[in-house]
Amino acid sequence: MSGIVCAIRGGPESRPTIQKAIELAKESGLPLYFLYVVNLDFLSYTSSSRVQVITHEMEQMGEFILLMAQEEAREQGVEAQGVVRQGSLREALIEFAREIEADYLVLGCPKATRRGKANAFTPEMLAEFARGFEEASGAKVVFSEEDCDGA
Amino acid sequence: MGRERLLSSLLAAALLVAAVALTWPALGGQGVAAPTGPGIVGLVADGHGVPIAGGEVVLYGDGMPLAEAETQQDGRYFLPWPEAASQAKEVALVISRPHFERIEQPLTAEMRAALERGETISVPPVQLEREINAAFWVAAFVFAAVLAAIATERLHNTLAALVGMSVVLFVSYLGPLVHESLFIFDFGDALAYIDWGVIFLVMGMMIVIAVIEQTGLFQWLAFQAYKLSGGRLWLLLPILMLVTGVASAFLDNVTTMLLMTPITVEIAIAVGVNPLAFLMPEVMASNVIGVSTLIGTPTNILIGSYSGITFSDFLINQTPGVLLAFLGLILYSELTYRKELAAGHSASPALLARLGEHARITQPDHLKKAGVIGAGMLLLFVFGEHIHLVPAVTALVGATALLLWIRPDMEEMIEAVDWTTLVFFMGLFVLVGAIQEVGVISVIADFIGRLVGENLLLAMGVLTWMSALLSMVVANIPFTAAMLPVVGYLTLTIPGAESKVLFYCLSVGAAMGGNGTLIGASANLVTAGIAERAGYPISYAYFFKKGFPAVMITVGLALLWLVLKFIVF
Repeated sequence: MSGIVCAIRGGPESRPTIQKAIELAKESGLPLYFLYVVNLDFLSYTSSSRVQVITHEMEQMGEFILLMAQEEAREQGVEAQGVVRQGSLREALIEFAREIEADYLVLGCPKATRRGKANAFTPEMLAEFARGFEEASGAKVVFSEEDCDGA
Repeated sequence: MGRERLLSSLLAAALLVAAVALTWPALGGQGVAAPTGPGIVGLVADGHGVPIAGGEVVLYGDGMPLAEAETQQDGRYFLPWPEAASQAKEVALVISRPHFERIEQPLTAEMRAALERGETISVPPVQLEREINAAFWVAAFVFAAVLAAIATERLHNTLAALVGMSVVLFVSYLGPLVHESLFIFDFGDALAYIDWGVIFLVMGMMIVIAVIEQTGLFQWLAFQAYKLSGGRLWLLLPILMLVTGVASAFLDNVTTMLLMTPITVEIAIAVGVNPLAFLMPEVMASNVIGVSTLIGTPTNILIGSYSGITFSDFLINQTPGVLLAFLGLILYSELTYRKELAAGHSASPALLARLGEHARITQPDHLKKAGVIGAGMLLLFVFGEHIHLVPAVTALVGATALLLWIRPDMEEMIEAVDWTTLVFFMGLFVLVGAIQEVGVISVIADFIGRLVGENLLLAMGVLTWMSALLSMVVANIPFTAAMLPVVGYLTLTIPGAESKVLFYCLSVGAAMGGNGTLIGASANLVTAGIAERAGYPISYAYFFKKGFPAVMITVGLALLWLVLKFIVF
């Protein structure tokens, strides 16, 4: 197996990531997987007794967000699959990439870096971050924007 | 893991029952000794005229203690006249209680003569003045620290309340070894401050909610809202707000928003609108309309239990003002989000089909049964007051009947009860009891009392806006719990306030004020949490920008109604 894994959340911030993944899929001809990870950390504000019901609802919402991304890929001639996982984004992403023996992981560019903010990741920090992902998943990390990783 | 949670839930339940059993004598088990033989009857109250229980009354004869009695819940005492007292040259009563100045009340010659004739005499009521001591500052500091820990999210609500409760009890028991003024209260007195009516009402409602939330009702209602609007987004907005608001009036706001937010995000994405244009008005509607019923918000449950305001009272006195505020909120939301709504379009048939798939009633049988039981509970909430049926009993009976009828997995149901919230309430009641015991509440009441004098209109305005503004930064449940005795005092002292209007002001301010900031209500935080996971984060600044004007409008309109209802008409 092989392919491209693109983790998304939805919303305007995800669009460049989705677009980058679609372009990469068109160039390489590899299968494209959009991944949505359900994370319920925000429930620490409230009761953990709601976990079962809210997990189901969040999965449904994730599937819907993936559907929109798949639709966008289809319009550009790429058939993509949607996958919903639970837990921490990093672990779920690495686990899925290993599972399908992914060639690429497409990640969004951190917002602060994209906007050139003072507290943004430096190119060195991003390179380190990408290296960590690559070592753990065996896939090459590609950021959604060219100038994001300082490459 | 599941087994561990079940065990911890059962342990919490066992602790709850044990605590009720421990508190039982303090709740009413104390008997007042019937006066027999000659004796002295008196009344002890604080500076606000509120009866003082647990006061020590000692009869001294020539400086020696001869007899003693304790004041009961109504502040009264009966002290038998001992024979030895007749031999003493001078006799006097010494009345004391921790956190109050002790007072000496001499007995006149006429009183002594009557007592020696074998009569029971009544001495003039005594008012004890508050003593600001070390315990006062300890309790005040601990309460403020707990509020700060909750507001800054340094500690989970429940853990913060438990830490606060532990500190005041620890200081109460070990502090007097250092200095007697560090005593706050003993364990029995601390438990007596727990309002079991609130605990059991919340617990009963949690069980009912746990059944309803699994039926898919919320998702179905949201989808029906879209269909009803016919794709007109300006119409979809108020329908979604109404659905959320009505659900919040009967269920807790957090559950309502947890279930409404994901389906709302889907609808918004399907129609090409920023989901925040629906989510912000929805969560604000949830905080506004929840105020209309006794069970709509935890703050109303606290207020109802303390003040005796019934379910019907809330419906009659509060609901019209809430509807007025809701209309204002709809207009404000339409205006604020007009550009986002105008940018939307109809959902494609494929997305609509997907939405419809998600928005199905998954357990129709459970929903029907929950509907029948819910309707019965509603009737009992409204009419039960005529037979003195307290809301907690209605909630417990309703929850039990529902469990018997649907026979769910009991393990799941026990886990569905939010024990952490119940423990939070218990810890909070003890903490508020501590600041009440040492006189912090009296100081606040005196301050507000001096500020508003006997002007009811001014008191309504001050209380409502103060509650609204403070609820934006302080968790509104502990704030409301602390304010209840203050409002109780103002209700006794301000002419016209006996209608309990000030409690309605507290209810409006504490709940609607939560719309001002992201941390103002738990429902805001869970909505923001889900929205962020859909790629639409809600920042503190964004929430304040949209929420603060909404608070001004909704609180202003709700207060206007209360003024019209209780002062003008």
